[in-house]
Amino acid sequence: MKTITITSVPGYNEWRIAARECLAQSIPPENIIWQSSESIQNDLFGDTEEVTPAPIEQMKHSIPKSVLMLFKYALCHQDISRFALCYRVLWRVIFQNKNLIQLKTDEDIMQLMTLAKAVKRDAYKMSAFLRFREVALDEQEHFIAWYEPEHFSLEIKLDFFQTRFKNMRWSILTPYRAAHWDTEKLVLEDNPDPSVCPDDDRIEKYWLTYYTNIFNPARIKKNAMLSSMPKKYWKNMPETALIDDMIKQSDARARKMIIDGNKR
Amino acid sequence: MHDKLIQKLEILSDAAKYDASCASGTAGKRKAGKTDKTGIGSLTGGTGICHSFTPDGRCVSLLKILMTNYCIYDCHYCINRVSSSVQRARFTVKETVDLTLNFYKRNYIEGLFLSSGIVGSPDITMESMVRIAKSLRIDHGFKGYIHLKTIPNASPELQAEAGLYADRLSINVEMPTQPSLNKYAPEKDLGAIHNSMNTLKDKIAEHKVDKTHSGKRPPRFAPGGQSTQMIIGADDSSDKIILGTSVKLYSQQKLRRVYYSAFSPIPDASEVLPLKPAPLIREHRLYQADWLLRFYGFNLDEILHNDMLDMDHDPKLAWALRNRHVFPIDLNKADKLLLLRIPGLGARTVQKILAIRRYTKLSWMDLTKMRLPLQKLKPFITVSDYSPAIHLLDSNNFELQFKQPKQFELFGA
Ligand code: SF4
Repeated sequence: MKTITITSVPGYNEWRIAARECLAQSIPPENIIWQSSESIQNDLFGDTEEVTPAPIEQMKHSIPKSVLMLFKYALCHQDISRFALCYRVLWRVIFQNKNLIQLKTDEDIMQLMTLAKAVKRDAYKMSAFLRFREVALDEQEHFIAWYEPEHFSLEIKLDFFQTRFKNMRWSILTPYRAAHWDTEKLVLEDNPDPSVCPDDDRIEKYWLTYYTNIFNPARIKKNAMLSSMPKKYWKNMPETALIDDMIKQSDARARKMIIDGNKR
Repeated sequence: MHDKLIQKLEILSDAAKYDASCASGTAGKRKAGKTDKTGIGSLTGGTGICHSFTPDGRCVSLLKILMTNYCIYDCHYCINRVSSSVQRARFTVKETVDLTLNFYKRNYIEGLFLSSGIVGSPDITMESMVRIAKSLRIDHGFKGYIHLKTIPNASPELQAEAGLYADRLSINVEMPTQPSLNKYAPEKDLGAIHNSMNTLKDKIAEHKVDKTHSGKRPPRFAPGGQSTQMIIGADDSSDKIILGTSVKLYSQQKLRRVYYSAFSPIPDASEVLPLKPAPLIREHRLYQADWLLRFYGFNLDEILHNDMLDMDHDPKLAWALRNRHVFPIDLNKADKLLLLRIPGLGARTVQKILAIRRYTKLSWMDLTKMRLPLQKLKPFITVSDYSPAIHLLDSNNFELQFKQPKQFELFGA
């Protein structure tokens, strides 16, 4: 039995190196115990300055790109079983069935999909619900956001934020890691201090005004809203503080429209 | 920015909310170049991100505002018509541009959806709108999404210029027929609206070619295409007339999307309008039917067997109930078009089934693993180890079991 301890989050690179070694030694999945240590260390995809061993995709086993993409997402999940699962799938793709991934009803594939999907959704929500607030740093505009993803989604979305807000200076803080961007370079910082986040922003009042006014009080569909924007996300979004009042007043507002209509 | 702006924003976002076409459409990908030192934004491909949701369940993706709600026209269904007593406001070009950029930088929105009442003349109005889009694109290098609602009767030149900066252009047809327009929007003319759409259609097609013969890429022109909106239930047009109009707009004017908006009473309403809102379920059924027409290979006659859609069942199920002889369908053998006709199977699931089928035969167990709505599917399908009892499709109670509770009315009104 071999025990492998992953010491970083999400642990993608470490897993990759370990998996490659295990494959080289032909250790079957059932003979490996994967565990993770508590400590948190920077482990960004491709962010490896030292010489790293060849990535899996360059080894003599050719792994379909679609599988590697799934691994990338699944390995950002909180679930500690992700390391063992990905190795098992890797093993089976190489030695049992290179089309394994097409078997959407295979237990392992279903589990892998479930993890990958959860991360994808979490990452999407991060790109949607994260809110920047403006501060002046060294007399320049700087934007800061605090966001609590459910998984290690920061890693997935860094590309998105760097592309979209390329010429802006910004910092995104999550409970486990922060990313700072100065329009050219990305710097990562583990366990950042949330107290640097501002509590207000000069534009926010306009956003709140907008949010209150585009909603149609004659058509309350609270459940539809909640399924797309569950309460767990609310604390990062300033506009959600208005929702209860908007719903309470909606009846009166809608009725007023009809009464106004009747007055003619 | 000061508080006058808040007041304007209140008025001009409130006035825009009656427009249903909220989502940003697909307009390909776009981002700043590696060496660009200015500019902001990106299009990620696919439909835009929903940055928030309001208690009416709608997605907030764009800053959707009117440039102004002053208007010289008198469309009855519209709160901004000249005869309405609503409070008026107008954004300047700079205010609109700044608001868009400031919202975008805070990750509130994907871009701008700008429409407007008509001030002065259609051309004067359209010109200001184009200036806003141009300033965003040229002065600020804005790479986010821009949707302009073009002004009916504005000059073709201005519409053409709008297409250079906007990702999507739209003109609302509002009513499915000219007689209804005459009654509810006397200044609007269906022929002129179609003409505008046709001009834009040609422009869009012209710019779509990959390279011109001189080897240069033509500039982007409204890559997200055109869309329009119809108000449902203000006039007495049937679903057949409405969907017939849509089919024509899709095939002749090559529209990307037709939106349906159930009429809902507006403050200070005009006398020709009904007092009660149109049922939301009707709007919902129209969207379902529209979807079947565009993506599921159904034609109009199949969907409608009389003038109105069945409100009790979704249109696909209604078709299946009228065509029981087609079922059950073998999931392991049927071709794609047939699979798409099975109630409870969406296009994505069909794609999945086709992929799995290449490697293995589908069994009942596979269906449960895929978490399909088996209760609904049961009577309509066969798989390797299951076929429905003959009486399932024949029984008289069959239809009843699909009757849905009238949720929509409950939550809607
Ligand atoms: S032209 Fe537009 S803004 Fe003016 S009244 Fe008609 S619908 Fe309303």
